[in-house]
Amino acid sequence: MKIVTFNQKETSQIALEFDELIPDKIYQWEKKDFEKYEVPIGNSRFLLRNYFDVDIEGSAESPADVKIIINGDLTRVKYIGFAMSAGEIVVNSSVDLHCGSEMSGGEIVVNGDAESYAGREMTGGILTIKGNTREFCGASYIGDWRGMTGGTIMVHGSAGKQLGECLTGGEIYVRGDCDILAGIHMTKGYIQIDGDVTRWPGGQMQGGNIVINGKLARLLEGFVDPEIVINPEISGKQLNGKYIKYTGDIARNGKGNLYLDAEKNRNFL
Amino acid sequence: MEYILKNGIVYDPTNDVEGEKKDVMFKDGKIVDDVSPNAKEIDVTDKLVMAAGVDPHSHIAGPKLVVGRLYRPEDSRRGIVPKKGVTRAETGFSIPSCPATGYRYSRMGYGTVVEAAMPPLEAKHTHEEINTIPNLDIAPLPLFGNNWFTMEYAKEGKIDDLAAFVSYWLKLVKGYGIKLVNPCGGEAWGWGMNVHGIDDPAPYFDVTAREVITALAKANEKLALPHSIHLHPNDLGHPGNYGTTVESMKIVKGISKNSPVRNQTVHMTHIQYHSYAGTNWRDFESAASDVANFINDNDYITCDVGQITLDETTTMTADGPMEFDLHQLNGLKWANKDIELETASGIVPFIYSGRNSVHSVQWAIGLEMFLLVHNPWQIFLTTDSPNAGPFIRYPRVISWLMSNKRRTEMIENREVHKAVEKKSMLATIDREYDFNEIATISRAAPAKAYGFTDRGHLGIGANADIAVYDIKPNDIDPSAEHEAIEKGFGNATYTFKDGKILVKDGEIVDIVPSRTLWTNVSGLEAEEEAIVEKIMPSFNKYYTIKFENYKVHDHFVPNPIAVNVQAGKAGK
Repeated sequence: MKIVTFNQKETSQIALEFDELIPDKIYQWEKKDFEKYEVPIGNSRFLLRNYFDVDIEGSAESPADVKIIINGDLTRVKYIGFAMSAGEIVVNSSVDLHCGSEMSGGEIVVNGDAESYAGREMTGGILTIKGNTREFCGASYIGDWRGMTGGTIMVHGSAGKQLGECLTGGEIYVRGDCDILAGIHMTKGYIQIDGDVTRWPGGQMQGGNIVINGKLARLLEGFVDPEIVINPEISGKQLNGKYIKYTGDIARNGKGNLYLDAEKNRNFL
Repeated sequence: MEYILKNGIVYDPTNDVEGEKKDVMFKDGKIVDDVSPNAKEIDVTDKLVMAAGVDPHSHIAGPKLVVGRLYRPEDSRRGIVPKKGVTRAETGFSIPSCPATGYRYSRMGYGTVVEAAMPPLEAKHTHEEINTIPNLDIAPLPLFGNNWFTMEYAKEGKIDDLAAFVSYWLKLVKGYGIKLVNPCGGEAWGWGMNVHGIDDPAPYFDVTAREVITALAKANEKLALPHSIHLHPNDLGHPGNYGTTVESMKIVKGISKNSPVRNQTVHMTHIQYHSYAGTNWRDFESAASDVANFINDNDYITCDVGQITLDETTTMTADGPMEFDLHQLNGLKWANKDIELETASGIVPFIYSGRNSVHSVQWAIGLEMFLLVHNPWQIFLTTDSPNAGPFIRYPRVISWLMSNKRRTEMIENREVHKAVEKKSMLATIDREYDFNEIATISRAAPAKAYGFTDRGHLGIGANADIAVYDIKPNDIDPSAEHEAIEKGFGNATYTFKDGKILVKDGEIVDIVPSRTLWTNVSGLEAEEEAIVEKIMPSFNKYYTIKFENYKVHDHFVPNPIAVNVQAGKAGK
């Protein structure tokens, strides 16, 4: 196992981009490689060593043998874990945009909040956000109709708008609340929100499952045929309790399922 | 500046040079037969030398490109190349940014491209975009096939009035020739309808595609334009449409050519999309042999293929109803726009997959057309970029054409669906293109069809638009080494434009501004004046802009190349 620790020395007003500092690319790097490495900042590159001290322990035969630990204030560091396929990244801070986006394997743990587009277009791996995240978590990128296709995102706090937009596979769990249009345009996959949801989950969804264990403020008219289900098994997961099950969004001839906790959402019955 | 390219293997079909080891000399941007001892010598020993490529049908400038980029940011994310040396950053795959468009054509050794659909109302913007594409000469074709004035004149059989109208409009919008897209169908789309076949009248105008094609073809010859009518026939992409295609070609049969610089009186574009048999997508199959046989029997026709490249791409066309059909078929996002009195339009992303039976048969039909049309002067290399695939795939298409082995591999290895074997005859065709035929379909023949006498060949006096490829024709076996062929044609060792080195070893080393090719018809000035006066009430009534704001003023076209022709007489 190789442990690479980044300890921040300086912050930057313009975000640093860490997409090249993933286990896949650095598993054979030595201290001297980090010393001469220039990190993208805006439209230029600057020496990483101006911003971070890097310590290396052990060695790695493959990306899977690498654990990266990043310490400091990383609210202006983007693309952490972008497109990684193996290994582990632990971030002891909140992070900027695109954390874990396009990752296909490995694990990222963010001990803080994550800005928008966390886990965007993931195809595999596990992304855990111990704090909150903002818009487009596990979503597609602007314009695309293909979002996250695999892997798992765990958000211990709350999530912003359009969580899991265009989800075509994988699982997203949010323990806190969630803003509007969770699972919009989703075709497959599973979203579970334990907190409250503001409005319109599953808009234009054609398939997949959304479970809301909190209170929903507004439901779209495209969800029809409510039925009460007890202790349902959804996507291989056994839920406990009474749920209202809807099918929709009929605006797109959708056959997705939306499950609402029946006790907290009696107003829909 | 004088150059001498030493010892290349030259293919120049226009001048009957087929694989000769010889020097190519040029001075001040023109090919010459001698240079001074001071000429700079470039050693290209045994390397493939051709005139720079001429793309006869591509969509690279205009509002459809802008809309495509705006609503497909996911495409812009593909093909990102940071700025390097003299180049700006590049973005996009099927709809590259303007600089990327120029760079990518240059890297393939191309120098001239025809922008195949310019709505006259959007011509200003098209020219502005042309001005931001470097390194190319670009000829835009204005759309006339669904123009209200065209349809009125066609209905009434007023060919002289139509000719004057076209002549004036080419000047007005700085266009090169006459483009028709789904004639009458685009107008029908304004009412949510389409026309089917050439005898189905446009609603309210009561005029048919047959009448519009006939009228525009006659007007084209009356004006002696350097290019023939450029026809995107009706029923694009519909199973069973080959009948419409053949009937459309028959319409022009009796019309006499009035130009010494081209052979054809009709150019059929993206013929692959128009060579389908069957009645629906289940029994859909190739009708390439029927269409190819007709072309083989009639030398007044040229065509380009629109070869499917099996990529995720962006379809964009003035054939609005077709785009709606496509959107219904694949469910992906759809952009639609009505261009007032002129045309419909639409854009839909499309993923052509070798795992899909229909897409695979479409792929096979394109290749069948290339291989079944006997005369390479009648069929040109295109992907109808970006509709059937981006133009950067031309080298791959060339590798398919030169290698039956590769085509067979794709079929046998199931890189394409097994339906190819049942629904096309591609697997039974073993023809392989040679370098001379490649030079013909990618530069010599398109140049001839457009009357580009100064390019597409390496004769004395021609523009020094030259491509040198890192391919040794006398050593390579294209059939076996198809990957080397694709790589070689995709990364020119040198691309010269007007004698300047733009590409060296696959890298852009210089940038020159684009130029606009347009046709300036003289001899009908009085008729043009009369026609403008005549149509002005309708123009002011139906267009949303004033006529004074319609014209493309000179500053929109800072680098024009006017091709002067005399109406009624053979073009220069």
